[in-house]
Amino acid sequence: MDQFLAAVDGAWRVLLTCLLLGAGLPSLYTIGLRNLAFADGALNDQVSGGRRGLHRAIAYALFAIVVLAILLGLSYIIAHGFGWSIGFNGIVPTFTKK
Amino acid sequence: MSNVTPELILLGLVVLTALAFDFTNGFHDTANAMATSIATRALTPKAAVTLSAVLNLVGAFLSVEVALTVTNSVIKIQNADGSPKGEFLAGGGHLLLVILLAGLAGAITWNLLTWLFGLPSSSSHALFGGLIGSTLAAVGPNAVKWIGTGAKLDGVIGKVVLPALFAPVIAGIVAATGTWLVMRLSRTISQRYANAGFKWGQIGTASLVSLSHGTNDAQKTMGVITLALIGAGMWHDTHAIPWEVKVACAIAIALGTFLGGWRIIRTMGKGLVEISPPQGVAAESSSACVILASSQLGFALSTTHVATGSIMGTGLGAPGGKVRWRVAGRMVIAWLITLPCAGAVGALMYLLDPLLGPIWGPIVIFGIMVGLALWMFLHSRRDIVDPHNVNDEWEPTTPAPEKASV
Repeated sequence: MDQFLAAVDGAWRVLLTCLLLGAGLPSLYTIGLRNLAFADGALNDQVSGGRRGLHRAIAYALFAIVVLAILLGLSYIIAHGFGWSIGFNGIVPTFTKK
Repeated sequence: MSNVTPELILLGLVVLTALAFDFTNGFHDTANAMATSIATRALTPKAAVTLSAVLNLVGAFLSVEVALTVTNSVIKIQNADGSPKGEFLAGGGHLLLVILLAGLAGAITWNLLTWLFGLPSSSSHALFGGLIGSTLAAVGPNAVKWIGTGAKLDGVIGKVVLPALFAPVIAGIVAATGTWLVMRLSRTISQRYANAGFKWGQIGTASLVSLSHGTNDAQKTMGVITLALIGAGMWHDTHAIPWEVKVACAIAIALGTFLGGWRIIRTMGKGLVEISPPQGVAAESSSACVILASSQLGFALSTTHVATGSIMGTGLGAPGGKVRWRVAGRMVIAWLITLPCAGAVGALMYLLDPLLGPIWGPIVIFGIMVGLALWMFLHSRRDIVDPHNVNDEWEPTTPAPEKASV
């Protein structure tokens, strides 16, 4: 029973983290893509006009967030491989030797 | 040069078998990272397996942490520092080496059989299953760690059974949510524009999955080979892995990945769910996130179970999407029986050693494994799945898995 509870404890943390990142980041990416599509006039039934420069800027800002997250994932894999652990006290990731 | 002794032959067979397992581990798991990108044509089949193979190779070299204690979560043949227990070391480590050989042979046999049927199953489960079986046959039930104590997840229950139950559910929920959001948000984008954008999303996330696979899975084989070398008295350091072992394992898993398990890629990319580019992005993001987050949070999940759960979830989350439950059902059955079946083969293989003696036993174990592998390979030639037909429609040309079933 202890083992089952420990698994549930691990499971909900993973689920919550990934609803935020695993589902949230691709959504941000898609919002970015939609803004970029607007700037390029590639939306279905798009009418001309609108502030295209602004939408392009929003798109690049969102892509930057997604790229940062991928770099974080990458640094996690590398740090883990070299025997370092990565902590998220606050928001800024910190690396410590295990 | 030392003379060729029965112990040296046995050690050689263990190392060969371990590398062969690493190779099957590679092609069995290519689908986890690349099935979606291949199915949505974000990458050509050849480009996908090449990218995945390179990332697995890099990943294998990135992991310097020693995974020597790999068997400790399910069986009791090693001390806490990873060195083999004394009672297994008599006669040049014969008992330890035969347990490893028989366990690996069981794992390979099961990996190849599930590949023949095009079913994604966990290579870690096969490895653990094989080793549990051979340990049971060699020592008895007391040498198996069935369940951990207290709240620390350990043993067959804590490290294998419970994670396998949760992994597909977690990944499925995340992927379904992600799919629903991504498809809703991308509705108004013209399709060509969206597909070009989602292509990069898929390549990025699939690359993360491949890299993390290389760091995790190649390490297991490195640990097993190093354990065998220590058992045979050829290596003594429990804090390092011989570089030859690292290079050999990295190359074996990368070659396996490059070969591509096309039968499994087809099942995951075309059979389970018809995947569109937005679904591919959502599924692969979910897989990458769940694999990395679960490892970070100390609740390591099998890549195969996560990737399959994500793909099923993306079928459930898409408006009008459907999951082929017949295919999913066969797959779940394969998951349930992977551990016991690999275990049964591992146990039977082990029993050949006391039956045939310390010289012929290991040779016959190895011979039977090679024979079974050849038989399954020849069987697979009857209905070839390769880069040319991996993306064919599933429904009109179903023969691949159906004909093979008994």
